[in-house]
This record gives sequence, structure tokens and C-alpha cells, in this order.
Amino acid sequence: MRRFVLLIGATMLAAPFPALAQTAPLAARTAQGEVAVTIYNNDLALIQDKRQLSLSAGRSRQEFPDVSAQIRPETVTLSAGGASIVEQNFDYDLLSPAALMDKAVGQTVTVVRTNPATGAESSEAAQVLANNGGTVLKVGNRIEILGGYNGRIVFPSLPPNLRARPTLSVTLDADSGGTRPVTLSYLSRGFGWKADYVALFDEIAGKIDVQGWVTLNNTSGTAFPDAKVLLVAGAVGDGNDNPNYRRGSYQPSGNRPGTESANRERLGDFYVYPIEGRTTVANAQQKQVGFLDVKDVPATKGYYYRNGWLGSLTEAASFDTVLRFTSSRTGGLGDALPAGTVRVYMRDKQGQPQFIGEKTIGHTPMGSSLALKTGEAFDVKVQPMVDKRERIASDEWERSGRYRITEGGSTREVTIDSTITYWRTSMSYKLTNARPEPVTVEVVQAGLDNWWRDTRVPAESVKGTQRSADERVWMVTVPANGEATLTAQFDTRY
Amino acid sequence: MALRPLVILAALLPAAPAAAQQAVTSTAPDSVAVTIYRSPQRSPEQAMQLSWLGGYALVTERRTLDIPAGRATIRFEGVAGGMLPESALVTGLPAGAREKNLDADLLTPRSLYARAFGRPVILRRQHGGTGAVTEEPAIIRSGPDGGVIVQTKQGFEAANCGGLNDSLVYPEVPEGLSAKPTLSVETDSPTAGRVTLSLSYLAWGFDWQTNYVMKMREDGRADLTAWVTLASSDPTSFPDATLAVVGGKVNREDQRAYPRRGGGYLRFNCFFRPLAQNMMAPPPPPPPAPMAAGQIIVTARRVEERLQDVPVTVVEEGLGDLKLYRVPVTSTVASNAQKQVAFIAGRPIKVDTYYAADLHGDSTGDVSAMLRSKNRSEDGLGLALPGGPVAVFETLAGEPVLAGESSIADRAIGETVKIRVAPATQVRIAAREVANGQGWNDFEVTVSNARPQSVDFEGRLIVDDSDKAERSTGRLVREDGRSVWKTKVPANGTARLRYRVRRVGG
Repeated sequence: MRRFVLLIGATMLAAPFPALAQTAPLAARTAQGEVAVTIYNNDLALIQDKRQLSLSAGRSRQEFPDVSAQIRPETVTLSAGGASIVEQNFDYDLLSPAALMDKAVGQTVTVVRTNPATGAESSEAAQVLANNGGTVLKVGNRIEILGGYNGRIVFPSLPPNLRARPTLSVTLDADSGGTRPVTLSYLSRGFGWKADYVALFDEIAGKIDVQGWVTLNNTSGTAFPDAKVLLVAGAVGDGNDNPNYRRGSYQPSGNRPGTESANRERLGDFYVYPIEGRTTVANAQQKQVGFLDVKDVPATKGYYYRNGWLGSLTEAASFDTVLRFTSSRTGGLGDALPAGTVRVYMRDKQGQPQFIGEKTIGHTPMGSSLALKTGEAFDVKVQPMVDKRERIASDEWERSGRYRITEGGSTREVTIDSTITYWRTSMSYKLTNARPEPVTVEVVQAGLDNWWRDTRVPAESVKGTQRSADERVWMVTVPANGEATLTAQFDTRY
Repeated sequence: MALRPLVILAALLPAAPAAAQQAVTSTAPDSVAVTIYRSPQRSPEQAMQLSWLGGYALVTERRTLDIPAGRATIRFEGVAGGMLPESALVTGLPAGAREKNLDADLLTPRSLYARAFGRPVILRRQHGGTGAVTEEPAIIRSGPDGGVIVQTKQGFEAANCGGLNDSLVYPEVPEGLSAKPTLSVETDSPTAGRVTLSLSYLAWGFDWQTNYVMKMREDGRADLTAWVTLASSDPTSFPDATLAVVGGKVNREDQRAYPRRGGGYLRFNCFFRPLAQNMMAPPPPPPPAPMAAGQIIVTARRVEERLQDVPVTVVEEGLGDLKLYRVPVTSTVASNAQKQVAFIAGRPIKVDTYYAADLHGDSTGDVSAMLRSKNRSEDGLGLALPGGPVAVFETLAGEPVLAGESSIADRAIGETVKIRVAPATQVRIAAREVANGQGWNDFEVTVSNARPQSVDFEGRLIVDDSDKAERSTGRLVREDGRSVWKTKVPANGTARLRYRVRRVGG
């Protein structure tokens, strides 16, 4: 018995499956034609696939295998010379044993039973009555429930609408027969890209070397061999009206968008980054291609701390370490920077680069100034403290209301006077530096506005600048291995 | 005999074409340097969670390999399993890297099945009763999501549904599926030759912390010992690595998800679906695999032993505004293991012991036994101290006894280090309101000491910034933005403070 089955197996290979001999090797086997993939930042790609199709004159149904498994079928367009589209279908009724049995209800299948003792097989025709929580079969005149040991089901054919994978099919009406190029284009999810920057900072020389890589991901479930790949720096069609609230005041000073144009291809408002030559975008692959490599760009390091309100800290807090450089043509990186992550490295005492922190950036035009927080300084700290808070009365009287009162024909004008009460808060900021060289720190006191717009600074130990109604900034130098104290008084109306 | 159809089948398939370009595989690094960063989410008092290490490491590998002239793909094996591929950097290639790829299309039962769609396989069937095994050719007709449907010479069947124990035998592994996520770079070298290149990348699944042990001495000093504990949950071991850890807060904000592991199952579903009322939510994804029983390598002596010279201690060096602590000898970072290296080898430091509590008018916080030291070399310290747990021991009858456990945050040189050792039991505090009037309240605080020695007590007045403490019967000093009452409480005695809080605001 066993030998018999094996022999059948060997001879069957050539006969009932004639397609086998022609199959191409697994990796190269794709029905895709010439593919161009345009990838956007927001999980989106435009795929253009130019295939050679052999059409017969009149109507014919064409299937398009090997499209992205995350295709957005509503976006499919097809252009074929001398043929018009009758209809487009996207079938996603997937072939599974349960679906197969559902479609077989009312049909006749074969039940193959094996004698447990001898192993002999016997076949019977059966009608599938129902498949609800169990398969009910009519075998001859008996009704049976399909269970583990009473037989396996052999189906004569597969129902035409069940697909092994979601399949795009198009019915075309060709005016003449013959092979012609057909371009299929569609949008697909499962793609994305961003930039990754490697910045090697030399603190003593005050310079950075920056390499930029574009990192693209394909999680669409489909590989695109030898594709032309174009990356668009932007999120198109992200139609949600989602105003991007920038927390500008929380960023260290020195971030300023640029106004220079980079020497790169553009698509409307977006820069595009083509990948040279054809490349394979494999499934579940993350691919990186370099696009920027500049050396010896001037960069400086700074320290930044923002005290959010007129309050104390019971323990000193570290200043943020901020790396500043520009993307300008002169004295900068000289390019527009697509959104991504900047990873900053510094050489240790043995000369080996070590990671010191990272910061994400948005799409940055050329000519921008960047101030990136890489981490917090171990050795440079600040402790804001409220020394005193007292009520002071302003000499200024304010006419806050004036009423006209009419009494029996005569009119009297009443003026109500009130004083403005000010609060005077005396703050001191203890600045400590455990580094062997002096540092200059940027201290920001925020929370000065609070809707009153009437804040005054009658005294400060270092001349500060009012950056906005809410924030005042001081640049203070702290001596090497030493301390400095910044004091300031704030007169506020709350 | 059973193998014959397989052989024939394989022969029928055309051989895979020669790779379009040459491939070079680098199996292991010659030398490796590992720098470990702490988990950004973990606070100093939290212990490392060995099963889910939230920190990361910078791995720098030196590799030597022979590259051919022309376009070639260099595959790197033996990299960390938690590699963040977007951070990978390859230097030393004569022509640079044209592109870098991380291929994560893994060889799994599922991907094997999916790639074999429409192709011949062998269906191996074991018969339930007799146990006889037969093999027959079949063609895969379904995708991997629904179940396994194959075409046999009899018709179409769902495998493993009905009496037979079916399995699939494939003729070959399709190209492009790999055992592990594999990093490769493409290069186009003008000449062939041997190159030494450096590969560096960040990898997650590492962490480290400092553990401090203070042993109180009779003379008002304490012996401070500290250990650096570093841990790896990565499946790759790094033998003889140059090791360092980095202290301070490093900004990390990349939101990319960590690569998921698992998910390669192929299910043999059968015909019936459960009825609607039995419909259950799909099972949650399996939790991350627990670490294999942690092999713990302790390179240190037990801390209870008498303090001795520990041969190897980490050495601090600056790294920008961070602190790098280097292990001066090469050492192995084993997979799923932790390791300890000495940081401070038993040095006597000057410490103040005192009791402290917060005073909120007529209520108070609990009294804590405290230790305070100044981080300077005159007092025996003067090191950049990375934050971590602190265990305080006192000596009782010649034996060390744990007196309390606490933690410190990162402390720079020159800073004051305060350690809350334990809640006090013999020093108690009571407060009450003794008088009040228009806009003011008078409070009285009594500290009692049941110990046979006098103790130092510090009470921190918690008063609104806009209120004023005045008419104090004890001296108040300004410290960290608060008024503090510092006093000595005599042995078996009490100390008293009376003060007025005047409300300035309305």
C-alpha cells in the first residue's frame, strides 16, 4: 500500500500538474513588471507597476497578482493603450477550510474513511447539509456529523470566488488583440520612511560631522524587486485638520526655520529624494541609503533651563545640554533636512565614538538654526528658590469704573477708585558647575504672563532680556568648579 | 525509499540563479566594545527588571573580512538581537556603504507556507489507526491566514482535518528568508582586499545601575562601597568586550517600536467555525519570552566580608556633559546575564547623622533618620555619583545589621548628598496651634528624644511662599528655599519651637 502511494506520487508529478516544469525560481517569481515606488512619510506609498499584458480582442478579465498586500483598492487606476476598463474588482473572500465548507453547502463532496485496523481507505459521496458549529453531512440515507475519525473530506474543486490572497482583477475591453504595456497604479499602506542622522560632535574644535541616511520600511507584505524608488519628504493626504501645536517656548533658544532653498528635486512643497539605480524593497525590510555627508560644520554646545512658574525646587535640577548648528549653505549642513532623528556621538578619551543623546527634528528647510537637546548635564545644575513673596501696593490708582446715576432728573457721576495690588516675588537661582571650565548657562523664568500682561522686573543681578510676555532670559557665566547666584524680583498682579 | 519523490521533485525545479552580486558574510567580530546606558524610565530607587531591561547599549564591533572588487553585499552575523538597525553605522569600507538593509523576513512555518503558494510540496500523512505513514505530492492552494488547503490527486482537501495527521514537506527554502534579522550593507569596492571595518549600533535590552553600601563606623564616618551592576537580556554574548557604562540623562525620543518577535505560526484550521454566541476574542499575543534562568556572574566578593582592596574598579571619565565609567579590563557581557564591577572600594567618608521632619503648622510629617555628606574629596568623596539604591549598615555586636535602604539621584562633585535611612522610632514630633488672631496663627513644635545620646534635628517649615514665618523662638535658616529650624535635642529630652505664620495674601 505504502509503496503504491509513493509510486503514484512520483509519476503524478509530471502529469497532472503540467505547470510545474515552467515555474521560475522562487525568489525571482513575481508577476510585477517595471515598478516605481514613491514613498511618503506617513505610512503611504504610490506604486506604479508597468506590466506587459497579452489581451485578446473584446472583453477579458485580467488578474493582477503580486500587488501590495496592503493595497488601497479604491485608489487603483489602470491605463492600457487601446483598451478600456469595464470594471475593477478587489476580492478578499479568503480561501480557508471553513469558507470552503460554507460554499460546499448543498454540494456533493467525497468522504474518505480509513479503516483504523487495516488502514484501508474507502470513499463515499456525501452531501453537505450545513456548516454551523459543526458540519452536517448526508451520506446515503444517513445524517452524520463530521468528526475527527469518521473521514476526511475531498472537494472536487475550489469555489471561484475564494482567493488565497486578496486579488485585484480588472475586466478590460480591448479593441484589438496583442501584447501591450499596461500601467497599474495604486496607493498602499505599509510603507514609510524617515531620516536618521549621525552627528559626531567635537567639542574642543566646535565642529560636527553629519551623515544623513534615509530609512525606509516595507511592511506591506509584498516584495518589490528592482524597483525605482523615490522618497517624498512630506505627509500627503493626511487630510485630518490637525493643527500642529508647536511648543515653541519649551524649546531652547536658537531654533529658527530657514529661508534657503536646497538644490534638490521638488514636488510642490516637498523635497524628493530619489534612490540611485534600481533597488529591491523586500518585505519586512528596513533599508537605509545615505543622502548627506558633511564634515567640520561649526557647532556649539549650550545649557538651558526653564523654570515654568515662580516656584522653588527642593533639589537642584540639571541643565539641558543643547547642541546648536545650522543647515545653511554657508557655515552649516547646506541642505534641507527631512524629518527624522539626530543621534549625537562624541569621542571618549580613547577616541571611540560614544552615544550622547538623540533628538527628533521635523522637516527642516535649508538655512535653519537648530538647537537640539541631547541630554541633561551631570555637572551643571540650577536650583530656583523663592526667597520672598510680599504684597506691595502700587501708587498708581486706577479708575476702574465710572457710573452715571440719574436721580429725579439730576444726573450724578460716580467714580469708583481701587488700587492695583502687586505681588513682589524675589527669586534666587543657585547655579553650580562641577566642570573644570567655566560655562555659560541660559536660565529662563516662565509663567510671568498669566493673562495680566503687567509684569515688571524691578531688580535683577544680571541684565536679562524679555523673550516674550511670559519668559525672561538671563545668560549667566558660572566659574569652573564653582557657583553663581542669579537673583531677580518680579512684580506681578497675581 | 521515502525520500525518492523529494529528490525527483527537487531535480525538476530549476536551480536558483546565481546571485546577481557577490555576497560576503562576516560571522563574528574580532573585538567588541559595549557601552551600556540606563533605562530612561527607571528612577534610581527602582530595581532593574531583569526580564524587561529598558536601557540600551552602544555596541562597536571591529570586523575583518575579504571583500571582492565590484558590487558586493556584506552580511553581518552575530550582532545583538536587540539591534536598532537605523542606528547602525559602518565605517572603514574603501568605497563606503551604498545602502544598508535589515532583512527581517524570517524563516517561519508561516512564511515557508506563504512562499510556497501554488507550488508542489509533499503531504506526509500518518494514519490514526495503523500509524502508517504515506507521502503524496500536493500543491498549496491557500494563503497562510485561513488554514492549509492543498490539491492532491483526489481533489482539494484541508490538511490535518479528518483522521490523518498531516504535515508538509517542502523541497527547498525560498530565497530571502533568514533565520534571524540580518544586517547587510552593499558596497562597490574598486579593488579586492582585506579590510577592517567598524560596525556600531544601538541595541535595546541592556541596563545598569550603581548600588551603594554604607557601613556606619563609631567615629562618625562611614565606609562607602559601590558596585556597578550591568545586565543584558540580549540573546547574543559579547566575549572579551571593552566595557563602559554612561551616567547622566541621555535624551532618547525615537518612538519607533521595538521589533516584535514571534508570530510565525502556521495554523491548520478546520471546517467549522464556532457559532456566533461562542465567538471569542482572539487570544492576546503571547507575552515576551521570559529570560532563561538568569545566569548570574558575580565578579565581586560578598559585600558582608571585610572590606578589602578590590582589584578592579570602574574609572570615571567625562563624556561631554555625561559621565562615562570604564571597566579597565576587558570582560564578557554574556547573554541573559548580569555582572558586577566595583565602583568605590570601601573608602571612609565623613557623614552627618541627623533627624528631619517637615512642619506643616499644626501637623507634621514623619521623622526620618538621615545621613548627609558633601560630595568632595576633603570629606572622602569627590566623585560623580550616578544615582542608585543605597543600603546602610550599622554594626551590632561586631556584625553588620541593615539599618535602612534608600536611594540617591545623580550627584555631581560639590553637591550635598542626603540619604533618608529609615523612619525614626525613638525621635518623635508633635505640633499644635497655640494661639491665633487676624491673619496669623501661632504653632508650637515639640521634638522628643528617647535615645541616650543627644541628636541633631532639622525641621523644615512648609509655609506658602506668600506667607511669613516670624517670631520664632529658635533660629531659622534659609535652605533650599525653605526656612529650617536646626536644633540639638538632648539625650532623653525634648526641644521646643514656637513660631507665628502670618498670612500676607488675601
